[in-house]
Amino acid sequence: METMIECKDLTKRFGNFTAVDHVSFSVEKGSIFGFLGPNGSGKSTVIRMLCGILEPSDGTARIGGHDIIREGEAIKEMIGYMSQKFSLYDELSVNENLIFAGKLYDLRGRELIKRRDELIAITHLERDINKRAGLLSGGMRQRLAMACSLMHKPTVLFLDEPTAGIDPVARRELWDLLFEFTAQGMTLFVTTHYMDEAERCDHVGYIYMSKLIVCGEPDELKQMAEVNPPGTRRLDVTCDHVTTALRAMRELRGVRSATVFGQSMHLLVDENVRRAEIDEKLNGVGISHAEIHEMGPSLEDVFVTLSAKYAGEQQQQQQAA
Amino acid sequence: MKHRPFRGLGAILFKEFIVVWRDPMTLFFMFFPPLVEMIAFGYALDTDVKHMAMVIFNEDRTVDSRLFIDRFVNTETFRVVGEVQSIEAMSSEIRKGHAYAGLQIPPKFTQNVRAGFPAQVQLLVDGSNSTTALQALNTALAVALTQSIESLLRETGRHNVPIDIRPQMLYNPTMRSPNFYIPGVIGIVLQIGTTFATAMAVVRERERGTLEQLLVSPLSRWGLMLGKLVPYLCIGMTMAVILFLIMRFLFSVPINGSVIAMMFSTLVYVFALLSLGLLVGTKAENQMQALQMSMTYMLPSVFFSGFVFPRETMPWIFYALGTLLPATYFISLMRAIILRGAHFFEYWPHLIILLIMSISLFCVCALMFRKKIG
Repeated sequence: METMIECKDLTKRFGNFTAVDHVSFSVEKGSIFGFLGPNGSGKSTVIRMLCGILEPSDGTARIGGHDIIREGEAIKEMIGYMSQKFSLYDELSVNENLIFAGKLYDLRGRELIKRRDELIAITHLERDINKRAGLLSGGMRQRLAMACSLMHKPTVLFLDEPTAGIDPVARRELWDLLFEFTAQGMTLFVTTHYMDEAERCDHVGYIYMSKLIVCGEPDELKQMAEVNPPGTRRLDVTCDHVTTALRAMRELRGVRSATVFGQSMHLLVDENVRRAEIDEKLNGVGISHAEIHEMGPSLEDVFVTLSAKYAGEQQQQQQAA
Repeated sequence: MKHRPFRGLGAILFKEFIVVWRDPMTLFFMFFPPLVEMIAFGYALDTDVKHMAMVIFNEDRTVDSRLFIDRFVNTETFRVVGEVQSIEAMSSEIRKGHAYAGLQIPPKFTQNVRAGFPAQVQLLVDGSNSTTALQALNTALAVALTQSIESLLRETGRHNVPIDIRPQMLYNPTMRSPNFYIPGVIGIVLQIGTTFATAMAVVRERERGTLEQLLVSPLSRWGLMLGKLVPYLCIGMTMAVILFLIMRFLFSVPINGSVIAMMFSTLVYVFALLSLGLLVGTKAENQMQALQMSMTYMLPSVFFSGFVFPRETMPWIFYALGTLLPATYFISLMRAIILRGAHFFEYWPHLIILLIMSISLFCVCALMFRKKIG
């Protein structure tokens, strides 16, 4: 496979603060790369450096073979960028926002109109074409912002939290679109907080405290030894009164961790802990009919485990120093 | 893709014209305050003293003394608002602000004049405003002098004064102060809307995050800057035309020189002001900073441009400061063209300086604008 984005030791310092610390990864052409991490961990900073609007303090990156520092202008022709804020001109109508985006990339005449009509069809904005962007709902703004970033048919599209503050239906529709784009050979770089979105990416990277602590295919990550300590298994327990159950489980011998996931909880337990022991403990606090299933780790388990481990290591290093 | 210096200009122009047109607040603030200020300044800066209130304490009560008072009134500088019966009453009227001047004619005024003795006339003037006081004083002295000379002429039998000076005021024959101030007012008033408008146009994009979106596109900084400037140049020139019309027809200031030269100088000046605004916009983080930065430029240009106070009498440091302001050259050009009807060969150095200023300001802001954030 052809490599589209390649970062090597990409670093950004703001004064004494290192926002991005020696981040290296690569993204294949036609794939979706999901970039995850808590707020303030450096996700947007990486995107801004890759888009050529923020100069790296150290390290290099190449997009489509072009160096981001020396060949920034060549990169600008081939990338699209949709920022967190869905940057649109509120005074301009949907149509005018699209025409403006096209003109910025030298589209004109029939080509411009054709491309606009295509994108309006793709993003289902036909009915609001003459509406001012300032009057659109969040979901429509997001679709319009995406349409604008696609006017010039970019080969790489950067989306910075494209689904933040968007309802679930709009979220699913957006992802369906993203898959269509990759089928056409477009490379997508997406930051998100949603685990279900991360599961749908070809590769995910997790940035924590300015460092990329893990990067790979979602299934690969779930197989990692750190996430699956030898002699343990993961259980999904569905029952009433989850919070009471959680407290009870944490007291049970052999339970290494217990976390609530909606109506159920995820347990990491020693292999020798039997289901009967769990049932018995739950009955003791007045909970019956618990459904217990064996399960593999979710991506969230992976990230929670790895960031806890990383934070612990950092603390040890500091104490040693 | 070949590199074009003004890449994206068309797109920015397209967008900026729509944004300006659909933002009535910006248009309102570009047009309304300058218009109001032009009219207000035009009237307020009329320093010609006319019909100053004067009280009379006439102890003589003869035809001659009344004729003498009439002479004061005939200058149009004074008007009689009342008669008082004591010198105390006279100064009290002035102190209360009922009158600016008081004229006391002593009992034997006519008798003394006729007999060839000096007749003492007392004039009290409110000196708290030096400009009006000075004019009152000059007028009063002139009236007394004319009257004295006429008396002397009668005695000598000559009909004319030995030396007859015939002053002729060039370029502003009626000595109207609006003629002097209005061209300067236009220069100052044009600054209000223009500089701030382009500064805001850039700062607003930064605040809304749309600037970031522009930076990831292959738009060139020259294209961005010119695209931001041109719509406001159109508005600024429309504004200037309205101001010139007000000057010509409301304040009746004749345009003695070439209208084309006047408009061209204005174009260059407005271009300089807008570039200055862009410069502010590229440096300011938010609208508040943009406002403060524009203000630091606007006040000195009121005081040091020669708009009100002649630059020649200023300490050298302020004189030097004035040479850095576009307003200085614009005001001098406007006075040359509008009032003196000067020919191109007489004012071109100032026009060239203004031209160089506006082009270099534009280049500086385009070059200082980095296509990066942070």
